[in-house]
Amino acid sequence: MKLSIENVGKRYTGNVWALRRFSLELKPGVLGLLGPNGAGKTTLMNVLATITRATEGRVTWNGVDVAKDPNALRAVLGYLPQDFGVYPNLSAQEFLEYLAAVKGLDATAARRRIDQLLNVVNLADVRGRPLGGFSGGMKQRVGIAQALLNDPRLLIVDEPTAGLDPEERVRFRNLLSDLSGERIVILSTHIVSDVEATATEIALISNGGLVAHAAPEALLRSVEGRVWEWVIPSADLNAVKQAYRVSNTARRSDGVHVRVLTEEPPDGARPVAPTLEDAYLDSLSVHRAGVAA
Amino acid sequence: MSSARVLGHLVKADFLTRVRRTSFLVTLAFAVFLGYQVFAGNVQMQLDDYRGVYNSAWVGALMGVVSSTFLTLVGFYIVKGSILRDETTRVGQILAATPMSKSFYTVAKFLGNFAVLSAMVAVMGVAAIAMQLMRAEDRTLHLWTLVSPLLLYALPAMAFVAALAVLFETLPVLRGGVGNVAWFFLWTGLIVVGVGQSASHGGVVTQGGYFRDFSGMPTLMGQMRTEVMKVDPHFHNDFSLTVAGMRPHKQFLWTGVEWTGVQVAARLLWFVYALAAAMLAAVFFHRFDPGRERRFRRLNAIQQRTPVVELAAAKNLAQADPWTHRLTPLEHVKAKNRFLALVVAELRLMLQGHKWWWYAIAAALFVACAASPLRTSSQGVILAAWIWPLLIWSKMGGREARYATGSLIFSAPHALDRQLPAAWLAGALLTLATGGGLLIRLVVAGDLRGVAGLLVAVCFIPSLALACGILTGGSKFFEALYTVWWYTGAAHHIRGLDFMGTVDVSSTPVVYGMLAIALLAVSWTRRRTQLAYA
Repeated sequence: MKLSIENVGKRYTGNVWALRRFSLELKPGVLGLLGPNGAGKTTLMNVLATITRATEGRVTWNGVDVAKDPNALRAVLGYLPQDFGVYPNLSAQEFLEYLAAVKGLDATAARRRIDQLLNVVNLADVRGRPLGGFSGGMKQRVGIAQALLNDPRLLIVDEPTAGLDPEERVRFRNLLSDLSGERIVILSTHIVSDVEATATEIALISNGGLVAHAAPEALLRSVEGRVWEWVIPSADLNAVKQAYRVSNTARRSDGVHVRVLTEEPPDGARPVAPTLEDAYLDSLSVHRAGVAA
Repeated sequence: MSSARVLGHLVKADFLTRVRRTSFLVTLAFAVFLGYQVFAGNVQMQLDDYRGVYNSAWVGALMGVVSSTFLTLVGFYIVKGSILRDETTRVGQILAATPMSKSFYTVAKFLGNFAVLSAMVAVMGVAAIAMQLMRAEDRTLHLWTLVSPLLLYALPAMAFVAALAVLFETLPVLRGGVGNVAWFFLWTGLIVVGVGQSASHGGVVTQGGYFRDFSGMPTLMGQMRTEVMKVDPHFHNDFSLTVAGMRPHKQFLWTGVEWTGVQVAARLLWFVYALAAAMLAAVFFHRFDPGRERRFRRLNAIQQRTPVVELAAAKNLAQADPWTHRLTPLEHVKAKNRFLALVVAELRLMLQGHKWWWYAIAAALFVACAASPLRTSSQGVILAAWIWPLLIWSKMGGREARYATGSLIFSAPHALDRQLPAAWLAGALLTLATGGGLLIRLVVAGDLRGVAGLLVAVCFIPSLALACGILTGGSKFFEALYTVWWYTGAAHHIRGLDFMGTVDVSSTPVVYGMLAIALLAVSWTRRRTQLAYA
């Protein structure tokens, strides 16, 4: 099972390149795709989900060019787009049954699968209610269920935890980890903690290009010994922000706890274990500095 | 910020939003097309066998009346939907949280609509000048004579239409497809009321008649008749505004509308009617409150029927154990009749949300078609049977765009070669079911030509609906087109326009069979371009 992205580029009208010379090879596991807003994550997802055609380069699924045989990929694809709608007059059960038919699933097997999925996404009790009355989080869970309908070998989820409450977000992360064994999961998000919990590999994307592709451990090692924390008075915060790359601040009773990324430790600072958020910010700022230079 | 300035910004934003959309270019293109049809003589105004010399007066009057009649019909469909757009883009919710009053909003929407319709009238004005110069029967431009019918006939009518579009959108019953159908009959009524009262007075418009004259056509008719009478005492008093009719052979000199104070006041009064309609709309406008939406009220009603214990369980997420339910691998069973299952799914999707009385009326029409005498059934009852599912057909092809489900459906395998034919077949089955009573009647009577005509219609109607839906991404175009076509062609059994094919004299099944195939080809091609990979 292999998904290859070879020098893929996507140009929109007005000669705007949302993606350029993007290459990546994926094997079973969870790939966390991280990047700032407008980095090209959704465009890449759309290209991989066969929703939009790449302007250049190619995508292959197990060696088969997706442009030549898109149905080979679609048959094993589960896709949760960032923005999607539902038919308000249908219930969750009916909507999933409809999509199962669209995906060409056997009716009996689909019914059994829908039962399981509605339980997994915690919507079994409201399966008969019209989707028009669902909250944003409930609709998102319907979206997750539809992505898993065909037991996909390639699961692409774009900002899947948007609109979910903290508890549902944890449930979804666990579900992703549980699913990851025999399939390729691509999780696109700008919420680092989602990636931290589930990803076996991370790809950082910025300005339509690949900034880094590594295991989380490798990314963490890249900032090892360069993350520091200390407590400062509130009045000094602006000056510290000017002098250092601040990755986090927290106001406490003893002052402001500041976390910075720097080679040389500030006076009174203590080294702390890096997080993925530190590594992400560091990689992006190094990349931006390189681009600016 | 002063009220006028706020209003100005609202109208400006609304207008810019529209003019920067491709659909606005299509709107202007339609006005250009209509202007060209007038220029080419395909749309003409005539009195018996007379037409006016192409001078400023005749060309201006012609363009003015064409705008206040044909363009108002289409214009309504073009501008209706601006409040819905604010709702779907969620801009409405932002506006609702400002101090802006409801009447302010509806008046701003009315003015935005009016600006768009005025742009179309402006195109007709340019076309009028071009027409006069290119026809070259009288090249002397009299600007006021040329543009006054556009300013005083077309613009007031357009203002009223612009306001009605807002009013329709705020009335729950009329904001959707029912309103689109209702507008056609209301528009017919507005035209007929004016013409009817002048006809009952021998072509003369009374003082009171001026105030009921929506299009200005009766006023114009009265004055032109007087002029023709002067050159031809045998004039039969016939006036017509026709599309692709017989061309007149004689000419008379028309020097322009003689505007009286009463006439001008009557025309300007339509602006007052328009403002009143826009203000009335504010009474019904729900200010984007989801709780007052008809759809939400219905959904809430359904939810209230759901046992409380279920809702409590759904809300109490904390009690749910994430590991209670595990996914087992999907059994990869070789499915039988996947296409048939998809057709059934599409049919269920189409029919979902309709109340029992919808089916009851459809069933009653089926029985009426089957039980009535053949002539009554094929000329009358079938008309009702095939207008009844209009709002179901109109969702075909555009549902994915309307509900933003395209990314879910188009990423499934064989979206082009399975889902699209399944959607069409479901539409054809619905058409067959609703018109099935007549099919039985025709088979029993051994009328094979009638059977063939009906079956072609069964293919043609969903093909037209699918093509309109896919091309426009909405339901409005089909609702307007089908209603006009149904009324003018099918209800009047006009040969060539009668797509139902159940009346021998007007049936042209071969033409509609070919048209159905062409429409399917259009749908297929367009959907192919919507999918990144076919």
